[in-house]
Amino acid sequence: MELMTRVERWDITYRHALGETASWFFAQIRDRKQIYGRRDPKSGRVLCPPRAFSDQTLQPTNEWVPVGPRGKIECFTIVYEPFKDLPEPPYAFGYVLLEGADTAIGGYFKGVDLSDGAVAATRLAIGTPVMTQFAEHRTGDVLDFWFTVAK
Amino acid sequence: MTKAIKVGLVGSAVHAPRVPERMSLEEALHAVAMAALRDAGIGIDDVDGIVVASCDQLEGRAISIMMASGSVGGVGRDITATPSASEHAFVLGCLRVRSGMYRTQLVISWSPLESDSVSQAQRLGADPYFHRRLPLDELSSFALQANALEAEVPGLREAAIATARKNRQHGFTAYPEYASAPREAALIRDGKVLRWPITDGMVSPPAFAAVAAVLASDDWIGARAGCKTAWVNGMGWATETAFLGDRDLARLDSLTAAAAQAYREAGVSQQDPRFDIAEVADPTPYQELLSLEALGLCPRDRWVAAAQRGDFAAGGMLPVNLSGGAISFNPVFCNGLMRIVESANQVRGCAGRHQQAGVRTALAHGASGFAMQYNTVVVMGRSAREMQP
Amino acid sequence: MSGTRVGIIGIGQSEFKAKRPDANYPELVREAVTLALGDGGLGLDEVEAVVCSLAPDALLGIGNAERLAVDAVGARNKRLMRINTGGSTGISALAAGHAHIAAGVCDVVLVAGADKVGECGDSQTILNKIWDPTYERSLPLGTITMLAMSATRYMHKYGMTEQDMARVVVKNREHAALNPKAHLRARTSIDEVMASRMISWPIKLFDACPQSSGGCAMVLASESYIRARRREAVWMTGVGSSAESYYIGDRMGNGYAADHADAQALGEACQRAYRMAGISDPAQQIDVGELYAPFSNTEFHSIEAAGLADRGHSPALLKEGWFRLGGRTPVNPSGGVLCSNPIAVTAMVRVAEAALQVWNRAGAHQVKGARRAIASGNGGDHQLFGAVVVEA
Repeated sequence: MELMTRVERWDITYRHALGETASWFFAQIRDRKQIYGRRDPKSGRVLCPPRAFSDQTLQPTNEWVPVGPRGKIECFTIVYEPFKDLPEPPYAFGYVLLEGADTAIGGYFKGVDLSDGAVAATRLAIGTPVMTQFAEHRTGDVLDFWFTVAK
Repeated sequence: MTKAIKVGLVGSAVHAPRVPERMSLEEALHAVAMAALRDAGIGIDDVDGIVVASCDQLEGRAISIMMASGSVGGVGRDITATPSASEHAFVLGCLRVRSGMYRTQLVISWSPLESDSVSQAQRLGADPYFHRRLPLDELSSFALQANALEAEVPGLREAAIATARKNRQHGFTAYPEYASAPREAALIRDGKVLRWPITDGMVSPPAFAAVAAVLASDDWIGARAGCKTAWVNGMGWATETAFLGDRDLARLDSLTAAAAQAYREAGVSQQDPRFDIAEVADPTPYQELLSLEALGLCPRDRWVAAAQRGDFAAGGMLPVNLSGGAISFNPVFCNGLMRIVESANQVRGCAGRHQQAGVRTALAHGASGFAMQYNTVVVMGRSAREMQP
Repeated sequence: MSGTRVGIIGIGQSEFKAKRPDANYPELVREAVTLALGDGGLGLDEVEAVVCSLAPDALLGIGNAERLAVDAVGARNKRLMRINTGGSTGISALAAGHAHIAAGVCDVVLVAGADKVGECGDSQTILNKIWDPTYERSLPLGTITMLAMSATRYMHKYGMTEQDMARVVVKNREHAALNPKAHLRARTSIDEVMASRMISWPIKLFDACPQSSGGCAMVLASESYIRARRREAVWMTGVGSSAESYYIGDRMGNGYAADHADAQALGEACQRAYRMAGISDPAQQIDVGELYAPFSNTEFHSIEAAGLADRGHSPALLKEGWFRLGGRTPVNPSGGVLCSNPIAVTAMVRVAEAALQVWNRAGAHQVKGARRAIASGNGGDHQLFGAVVVEA
């Protein structure tokens, strides 16, 4: 019994509007190497990355607050397996609570020897202080920055 | 024996920005959700559950309920999604209220324009086994259906042109800043052919909108004063089979089946259904006419005469699509929920510029998929009827 | 009439495998439907509505694929809708089916679906697309990395170790060896799990679910239908659902409503289901759990969210044997998601397995005397949760 298969690829381009809040956030990163959060007036929490409203209170956020460049690791992982269209392993990434923010922002962790997972995991343990590094050439994207372990 | 719970629509909103790029999709959904709650006179804490509907392929997100969830008050709340159709979100919202497990539901749908090509996204809906290599998007499917109908109904083309003109005229009254042009029959007839026999005068290009509705039980409504309510007195939904070649495209039996369910519940005559207004699926005028027949409102041998007489125009025997329909403004994926909300607002007396005086009963019909595969019918009224089992 | 009690009268599951080259998507759905109708002793003509359980279309490679399944579920000119809440789709679809009957609109509802995850080129690449393009899509997020991060927080908060995680795998594979429907059925050991390839620290290959293909279908019916036709049934006595913030980074830091280490909203979903079922002390009253856990570490916070252990305590209780067959409250006697993950229906399979348990029809993996079970589903980026209580 001959069984056939048909190969199909999904390839559609999307242009997602970032809106004013996210656009301003990325422009500051690109132009001034400064990360900002935005405060939800009802809870007082500074949301970073910023949103125009809080999904907890549904209130509009109302104040830009500069955050970082120091922060601490809230969670991490180290990837050893290759996945299509994702970077060459090994690499480490996770979420960082920047000073001044109340929520954590995602980013890569660089400059840590990842050859031994258990050892690298202790270097990236939750609570580890980190410093934000900015790319020389920035385009206004989350990849314009990453984190290194602070001394 | 517990009594049957009745459902009413008590609030609605449409967010259709002139420049969609100013806001992120999350922000647009937040705006429409808050607007619907304001219209209902409630806060998010009064909402017991949420049903959303959108199409992942149009969105560029693999599980679109995720992104929407926070925007519409989903955190800590019971939220689910019906990507099959925007009108299915309404159906499920009603079922949830009628189950007695929820006093209220917020129902939201949206249709973004962020993909490079709506047509390309729609073509992914064709099966990869036999039909994916064909240029089969929704417009092509409507054209196939139109040709099947023209083969059976002499003079149909002129009736289609008149119907397109009617809806464009209605749209110009209702929402002049959005309504598609041209509105003149000659220009519609001689417009550029997109997919024979559909001209660019018979359809509207895809537009962005988000639509929301608030549903509540009769007990909840009874406990509050001043709810402008459209009671859902009957509801039905049904589907055709998928392969267009397995269907007779000149008929729409699933719509007749859905209407039968809705009319039975609402106590409306199956042979002679009467309403003050109707909002009916009209991706092209051919589908509006086919739907009117399947809904028992106008058999095909009367289409041409009815269109000439203006039976379904404002001021006619049964105004259909006073909002202008999709022929005037086309937020592709959420057209179904738009028809329901427009009908409901006519009953509630808050339809706006196109409000018809004295609307007591309204019919809404939404359809989705290739050549109207899914059909949903909602009968609404100013008073709540006893549901017929 | 509203508030009607809803029973399960038929269950059908495929034997889950990596690939099913012999059947296309509608055929796989049909296979499950045939099994469920046969099990319930009824024909398609008695079904009044269908709810299609179908998660991301991209995994199947067909937009709105449920449209192709209309004939497979006998739904021409009948009521049909489709539910998608990511990984929790199967349990959300059952909740929607439940609403059709509790609303008094239908007496018999078929809930059905299938998946072919093994045929998709790379499911993690697609699952990367569930994240927000504004802030998170550029990061290499996938369900594995996202839940690996949950593991690092749970380790930090409660002291869980990689060996604890491996112990979950060993237990579930023991169970799956007794379940002919499971995909991965080979027994394993802590050493073997620890030696398996590291994917995303601390999750290793053996800590992760497989990509499975197959279908599942269930027939739900009203109490009046069941009594009138003298059918056997078990009952969906509790249904609940809740959600967390979409943004993982909001589940940490200061003043968060939910910690990414835990499964807060799953706890809320279970509480809602328990309240509806009149269960006040799940640790005492629940006999068995089929809890959605695609990675070994996530079984711990799921057990705790289901109220079967206090937060942070389940690794120790697992070590004492509480959650294995023959233990205090067996969890995932079917082998769970770690042993079969046909995404579109995985959460439905949890309820199906819970139902088989309280029905005393679970065969070799039967929990003796089980009468009350909790089933759960997780969807999105650990964001959407559903829970169902099934009772004899």
